[in-house]
Amino acid sequence: MAEPQPPTIHEGATDDIETTTSKPAASAEDRKAAAALSNLDSNNTTDNTSTQVDQAAATNALNSVSAVSEKKLPVEASAKSKVKVDAADVSLLVAEFEVSKARATELLRQNDGDAVKTIRAFLQPAF
Amino acid sequence: MPQILSTKEANLFRQVIRDYEEKRYRAGLKAAEQILKRNPKHGDTMSMKALIMNAQGKTEEAFNLAKEALKVDFKSHICWHVYGILYRTNKNFEEAIKAYKFALKLEPESQQIQRDLAILQVQTRDYEGYVQSRFAMLKARPQLRQNWTALAIAHHLEGNLQEAERILTTYEKSVSVAPSKTDFENSEALLYKNSIISEQGETERALEHLEQECKKCLDRLAVMELRARYLAELGRKEEAETAYRALIDRNPDHTDYYKRLVDVLGLTAEDEAAQKAIFDEYSAKYPRSDAARRLPLDFLTGDEFRTAAKAYLGLMFNKGVPSTFANLKHLYSDSFKKDTLPSLAEEYLQEAEGSNAEASSDSSKGVGAALFFLAQHYNYHMSRDLTKALEYVEKAIQLDPKSVDFQMTKARIFKHQGDIAKAAEAMDQARLLDTKDRYINTKAAKYQLRNNENEKALNTLGLFTRAETVGGPLADLIDMQAMWFLTEDGEAWQRRGNVALALKRYHTVFNIFDIWQEDQFDFHSFSLRKGQIRAYVDMIRWEDKLREHPFYFRAALDAVKLYLSMYDKPEGVNGANGNNANGEDAAEKKKAAKKAKKEAQKAEKEAAERAAKQNPNKAQKDKEEEVKKKDDDPNGVKLAETKDPLGDAMKFLEPLLQFSPKNIEGQIAGFEVYIRRKKYVLAAKCLKAAQALDENHVKVQELAATMQKTMDGVLESLAPKVQEALKTELA
Repeated sequence: MAEPQPPTIHEGATDDIETTTSKPAASAEDRKAAAALSNLDSNNTTDNTSTQVDQAAATNALNSVSAVSEKKLPVEASAKSKVKVDAADVSLLVAEFEVSKARATELLRQNDGDAVKTIRAFLQPAF
Repeated sequence: MPQILSTKEANLFRQVIRDYEEKRYRAGLKAAEQILKRNPKHGDTMSMKALIMNAQGKTEEAFNLAKEALKVDFKSHICWHVYGILYRTNKNFEEAIKAYKFALKLEPESQQIQRDLAILQVQTRDYEGYVQSRFAMLKARPQLRQNWTALAIAHHLEGNLQEAERILTTYEKSVSVAPSKTDFENSEALLYKNSIISEQGETERALEHLEQECKKCLDRLAVMELRARYLAELGRKEEAETAYRALIDRNPDHTDYYKRLVDVLGLTAEDEAAQKAIFDEYSAKYPRSDAARRLPLDFLTGDEFRTAAKAYLGLMFNKGVPSTFANLKHLYSDSFKKDTLPSLAEEYLQEAEGSNAEASSDSSKGVGAALFFLAQHYNYHMSRDLTKALEYVEKAIQLDPKSVDFQMTKARIFKHQGDIAKAAEAMDQARLLDTKDRYINTKAAKYQLRNNENEKALNTLGLFTRAETVGGPLADLIDMQAMWFLTEDGEAWQRRGNVALALKRYHTVFNIFDIWQEDQFDFHSFSLRKGQIRAYVDMIRWEDKLREHPFYFRAALDAVKLYLSMYDKPEGVNGANGNNANGEDAAEKKKAAKKAKKEAQKAEKEAAERAAKQNPNKAQKDKEEEVKKKDDDPNGVKLAETKDPLGDAMKFLEPLLQFSPKNIEGQIAGFEVYIRRKKYVLAAKCLKAAQALDENHVKVQELAATMQKTMDGVLESLAPKVQEALKTELA
């Protein structure tokens, strides 16, 4: 059975108050485990000796990445929404195809907003 | 305004969180209530209390409380985060994402919330959102390699390969110190980047990258295989040949390497001698390699085949390899080979008789193995002669009455004769020859199920399930996700007319696939942390087509068919679905269900007591967990009482059509459901798909007639656009 939450996630919005290091451990065993854990964490999160990252270089690199990631988005949106679709056709397809409204609209757009054409295309085997 | 806690209470609040994280729900609840006594309107505490209640299985109360908490303190990111977690655990991912996003707006710095959101986005395949989340996480901590890799994966999954590669390269350039040789994360990241280059179709560059950057990668085999593949794709034949030869030297039983080597050498099917020479070379070099001896049988013909097959069979019989037949039966599509193999086995027997030497005391070798081969040969559907099969198997049994294999084959012969009861009995006898063999135990149970002996089969399997599982063998088999059993058990119940239990089993199989889907959750962060990203991406892609699995197909098709029969004959299928025609039966079944429930409770209690004796602390925890696990319909009675069998069937049907569109059985079932639901376009779609798959299928022609007839009656009543489309497409 699947656990409700993966063990790696600390449930609860504990971020601002969570104090991993100051947890009073119940026993010596727990303290050891906690120490090991925090060691692990520091190994993972702060600079690891084997893969030392130049902080400045990383930040620089980041800047070059952000420039591209953001300008990409608006281009795609415009191409799709050119075709006009009739709301009545959309609801017809939603009922006949049992798909979401968004999907019905998309299918209609792919067929120039023509419902008959869309249904005929839908009927073709998809393999 | 949110209430502010005193220092003492703030400490107590931290205690609540700790208690929750460590699953000490009772203590946590107590502490939370203590805070609330003084500060009844402290939203964060209310939220934490709700979270704990949810973990204890009180979902509804938890939601109510969490909503209260939001009313009191709607600007608290904790309240929103908890609200999101509640939705998440109840699988309403859409609402959960909304709540997380709101929490993040209130507390943009929280890495915890950001991480929860990101995981949910990739789980729901919202790659666009995932890219954004991953980008934000990278911005927060660019010094962590994980975050770079994760962003690359996000781009990759979204289909933006160039960007993915660029992210990885950017990170690589920012590293000033060369990573150590044993840095696993680095090694995997390099190979991951290589796979991205290759996926872009740039084999040349991929090869270059592989040779320059991945020489020292820890996964040596992957590097060698990729290199060989790239070389072959680029037509650099000589180098590819060397590469594949090196791979065969590593593993002379990997059949694929041989095939590719032959391809690279440009040998065609007609070049039998040249191909044979390669395999001869390797069978001389690696006398223990089976592949090098067996594979030539695939392409050899005529006398060449006869000679090679004779040598191979002789070797296998002398060694006593039980899987000989299974390894060769794929050759039977060639009728010459189908006839040659048994005659060679006969020859072998005659020669053995002639020499009359007591070869060995081990009956699975020599004569016994040949007899076994022949028995299987005559039992196989392409070469079936059950009388002969029985003759050979009896001879083999005479030789060794205690052989499990021989007995098992005898049972299979009975099955093919159609005598299922006798087959089940024979298989159980085979089982008794070796009660510690799990394989034969499973086989025996399966045959019992085929013979509709559900209870007996469960007892048989119970010999191998964990004794301490609460709820007995059945619960253990469900826990272990023994889907073959659940499906066979369901089918047996269905044959026995117990619709309720049959549905229950099919639904259980369905749920197991849900669990597999949900199991991904753990890996979105785990795989990254461990750096095993190639395997992670493979897994994501596998999960995307999870339900094309044959186990899913079979159980789902069973369920759809059962729902169809329930719809067609609301009464008479069984007594459990609320009809008075079989009232007495229904009452009896209810009684039985009650009894079963009582017994389950009793067993549970006993197990809990036993556990308590062993470990008093653990017992309490278990109890708290169990609250959630309890099944409120263990016998499927509620499932069978459905008012809308066709609607219920849809749950099973949709993945069938989506993931196994090429299976004609699924399309036929889809048609049957849609036509009854008056969804004519969808029915027509299934019909057209079925026709494309096999126009001459008897059932398909039947469906076409049904469609035509239905259309004649209803066409006028349909929307004009639908009419027009259907008329043209069905003409």
